[in-house]
Amino acid sequence: MQRDVAITGLGQTRHSRRRTDVSQAGLAREAALKALDDAGLTIDDIDSVVVASGPELFGAVNQPEKWLVDALGARLKPVVRITSGGGTGLAGALAAYYQIAGGFAERVLVVAYDKLSEGALQYSISTLYDPFWGRDFAVGIMGFSAAYWRARMDILGHTEEAAAMVAVKNRRNAMSNPYAHVKKEVTVEEVLASKPLAWPLKALDVPPISDGAAAVVMCSARAAAGSPAPPAWIHGMGYYCEADNAAERSLLVSEPLALAARRIYRSCGITNPRRQFDVVEVQEPYTCFELNYYESLGLCAPGEAASLIASGATQPDGDIPVNPSGGCLGANPIGAAGLIRMIEVAAQVTGRSEGIQIPGARLGLAQSGGGWANLRGLAVIGA
Amino acid sequence: MTHSRVAVVASAQTELRPAWSGAQHIDLISAVVSNVFKGTGLGLADVDFVFDSGSDVLDGRSISNCGFLGAMGAHHKEESRIEEDGLWAALYGATKIAAGAASVGLIIAYSKPSESDINKFYSSQCEPFLQRPVGFDHRAASGMQAQRYLADHGRTASELASLVARRWRDAAARGRVAVGTCPSAQDVLAAPNAARPLTSLMMSRPTDGAVAVLLASEEIALRSQRAPAWITGLGTSMDSHAFHSRKPGALEACEAAARRALSRAGLAPRSASIAEVSGSSAVGELLVLEALGLADAGKALDAADAGTAINLSGGALPADPVMATGLVRLSEAFRQLTYPRLYGLASPTSAIVHGAGGVGMQSHCVMTLEV
Amino acid sequence: MLAIPDTLPIDLAPLSSDLSMPYTLTPGHAVGTFLAEITRRRIVGARFTKSGTVVVPAVDACPLTGESDYELVRAPETGTLGSFTETSAGLIGLVRIDGADVECAHRIVDARYEDLHTGMRVSVVWADAPAEGILAIAGFRPDPDAAHGVISTLEDPAAPLEVVPYRMELHYEHAFGPYYGRLFDEIRTNRRIMGVRMPDGEGALLPPREFEDVSYRRTGTWVSVGATGKVRAMSVINLEFVGQKHPPPYIYAEIVLDGALTRLIHNIRIADMSRAKEFVMPGSRVRAVWNDSRTGSMNDISHFELIDDPSAPGAA
Repeated sequence: MQRDVAITGLGQTRHSRRRTDVSQAGLAREAALKALDDAGLTIDDIDSVVVASGPELFGAVNQPEKWLVDALGARLKPVVRITSGGGTGLAGALAAYYQIAGGFAERVLVVAYDKLSEGALQYSISTLYDPFWGRDFAVGIMGFSAAYWRARMDILGHTEEAAAMVAVKNRRNAMSNPYAHVKKEVTVEEVLASKPLAWPLKALDVPPISDGAAAVVMCSARAAAGSPAPPAWIHGMGYYCEADNAAERSLLVSEPLALAARRIYRSCGITNPRRQFDVVEVQEPYTCFELNYYESLGLCAPGEAASLIASGATQPDGDIPVNPSGGCLGANPIGAAGLIRMIEVAAQVTGRSEGIQIPGARLGLAQSGGGWANLRGLAVIGA
Repeated sequence: MTHSRVAVVASAQTELRPAWSGAQHIDLISAVVSNVFKGTGLGLADVDFVFDSGSDVLDGRSISNCGFLGAMGAHHKEESRIEEDGLWAALYGATKIAAGAASVGLIIAYSKPSESDINKFYSSQCEPFLQRPVGFDHRAASGMQAQRYLADHGRTASELASLVARRWRDAAARGRVAVGTCPSAQDVLAAPNAARPLTSLMMSRPTDGAVAVLLASEEIALRSQRAPAWITGLGTSMDSHAFHSRKPGALEACEAAARRALSRAGLAPRSASIAEVSGSSAVGELLVLEALGLADAGKALDAADAGTAINLSGGALPADPVMATGLVRLSEAFRQLTYPRLYGLASPTSAIVHGAGGVGMQSHCVMTLEV
Repeated sequence: MLAIPDTLPIDLAPLSSDLSMPYTLTPGHAVGTFLAEITRRRIVGARFTKSGTVVVPAVDACPLTGESDYELVRAPETGTLGSFTETSAGLIGLVRIDGADVECAHRIVDARYEDLHTGMRVSVVWADAPAEGILAIAGFRPDPDAAHGVISTLEDPAAPLEVVPYRMELHYEHAFGPYYGRLFDEIRTNRRIMGVRMPDGEGALLPPREFEDVSYRRTGTWVSVGATGKVRAMSVINLEFVGQKHPPPYIYAEIVLDGALTRLIHNIRIADMSRAKEFVMPGSRVRAVWNDSRTGSMNDISHFELIDDPSAPGAA
């Protein structure tokens, strides 16, 4: 297991439906200061900054890292923006990982955010579609995601009920998460009866629109030695992609995610993810994806995701807790969501979760992704 | 942790044209991706990761990389979008190889500014409440940089025009740039106003284009048939977003990036054989040359090529493919080091490569190469 | 360098695309107060506590020091001009308002470029008609006798503006390129959908492209695909959203036409849309329904219909 890069500071804003007291820059700053504080550092101790935010059309500011630099107090430091749709937060952390592992920097601040209340979200997301090929029918990625869920229903048994159980679990878990803003438990019946937005996706299958930011301080082993909080170590991390319209693209298993899992598990010595991971955080842009991730991450075989959720194994008291934070259903500032998953896992494995703490967690998995489900990555994080 | 050395082993570039009206983004991208491996003994199957630089705002698509992955050759490989000038993507790629996590990386950058309004690309970077409404944008920033530079150092618009005309001649002769008729210095002076004292030809000319660069670890680079160009120094820095609060008459972030890269490389700027630098306007380029240490303050116009050969490709003034400009500079510097005779060079050993981004060149990336 | 498919050059005007996106942006406390106060003709700055740096207009973080503890102050209406220029937006200059430590960008009015010089005194010109935000100041005019003003206390600041409406208008002219060019020309002219053969000849890629995505081998010759196919995935759309092109309800469908290996995205119409999820599913056979007049886009196909629509009146 590698012990080259550690996460030594964690920070999240209390995510909300709408923040009218801070600009995008102010929101990002809040999370940055929390992470720095957690690490016992100031911005002066930071060698390099990575900004991760969703597509620019979300917030009306092009290349927003250039706007943020003043608010972060990072003037004259290296600053770069990584963006990857929903996977942005993890992709940003990955760039920081390599800055450290590659000897470019000792301490890197990663700031991820989105202030989704400010723009027309589905309109902005819909522009990911080719203007020549399908954009007129786009409903963000909701239509696409729903369509392929429908296809997985027949072949893999990812029923509406199974997805509803994901909603029930995650929303219950979110009740304990001080950073989540959706605080209302639901029943399977309520999910099934909720309004179909892009059937089979219904209102309660869909995460909220959120304003929120998250930040981490990542550093080399040497720099981690002085950190006040116990460091969480990145054992392996990667981010893979798949051509959106390659021949025979079925989206049954998430191939880029399965590829990432295969490669990174191997480098980390993971042969039985269900047994070896104590906790998993996945970024579920819709409930149906969590079922897809169970299979693609090897937590169960293809076709068994519905059984897995029904068995209770992915509940906080199950043998493979998934999304004890509540996942995206509790809060979904898209550009930050991937980093929030990493933060939650890092907190779990160092015993510092502010919500539901999985007892004795030492090794965890964070998953993130974006685009047309064709950008997918994960991180293995341990104490 | 020991770090691997990293080298540039190949590059490929489309011609830079005011408008590639017969091609889509993916056509430009696949043209360079299919070309870059030839002669290296490497193929797409050897590539561990693909990093790309492009702009959602220029492309008119959110997450534009996710629709171009097939053309990038990125299918089932690691991929990441760096939404900065392509030289930043090369920097990220270098850190990944240095870390030992990969041995071959494909770096791609592209833009088609002809498909939209370049002014909107820049003005949308400006702060929306205080800057955009008053009409402050990159032209205004460049104009104010120029107004100050000419006043501070007693230089004239004619001298800027001569510089621009020279860069266009160099681009026509050696760059892969579509140049119809080279503008004379008089043509440059007579061009419509962009931001006084800068005429439109004194602003860098946006062009469509794509470029791909292949990076490799030391082990693989030494196996390739070309002489690898080692990346010996890396540095980046971003100045304040508030243009009005930056130190006037200088590019502090360029100085900081250069200091970092050159000290890592152990290279004194004026002993570099070659420099390929970006510039969003004629004065922007001069300020960059001074910030890099290639000329004293106010003297960049006088920097004859006695020492360092500057912008033999013509630089960014005749051809600025926006998100690809810095990576084109890397490609050009690599070619000059690898085929010196094509450029009338004797035996160059080192190059300073520069890319920039943002209004008034807010951020800078400097890389040094050595053969 | 670009592979040209076996066809004549096509002159298709680029595809125009307009993005007109509405926003409600939050300025934050400092800028929000500045925007609220400027309509009352009071200029608000921020004095940062630790360094004493004064920034006008007020901002939440100091651009020089990165501090964020500040008190709001009232700035005078006079200052000194720094750099300046003239663009199509008019005269733009950097003005150091008296008492401020950094400049601000604004318009210079009642002057010509030739009259300006760095160091000249300027003063605020308020807009006559009601104006939005920072444009409540029309600009700064040369004012050689302008006395030096001072920073003073801001009494009873207004509550900060929480939301500023904004609209981003972006226009694009997207080139067709060689592949989309032929594809859409055939659609428009001949009602024929063409892809390119895979490198091994088994099946066609649609839309056509130069390289096959998985193997990165060059694609083969052009080939027609059928106007019938199979649904790979579908969803019943009910959500309405700002900027939506196609009003709901409709059936979003990813369809693989006979002979193709890749999907196109379109909509399916059946007689009884309320039973969409019953009758349309992955595997359903569909047929393109063409528009009579065509322009060379996917909209030349109006929709897809089920080859056997059980919801149609008189269906078995």
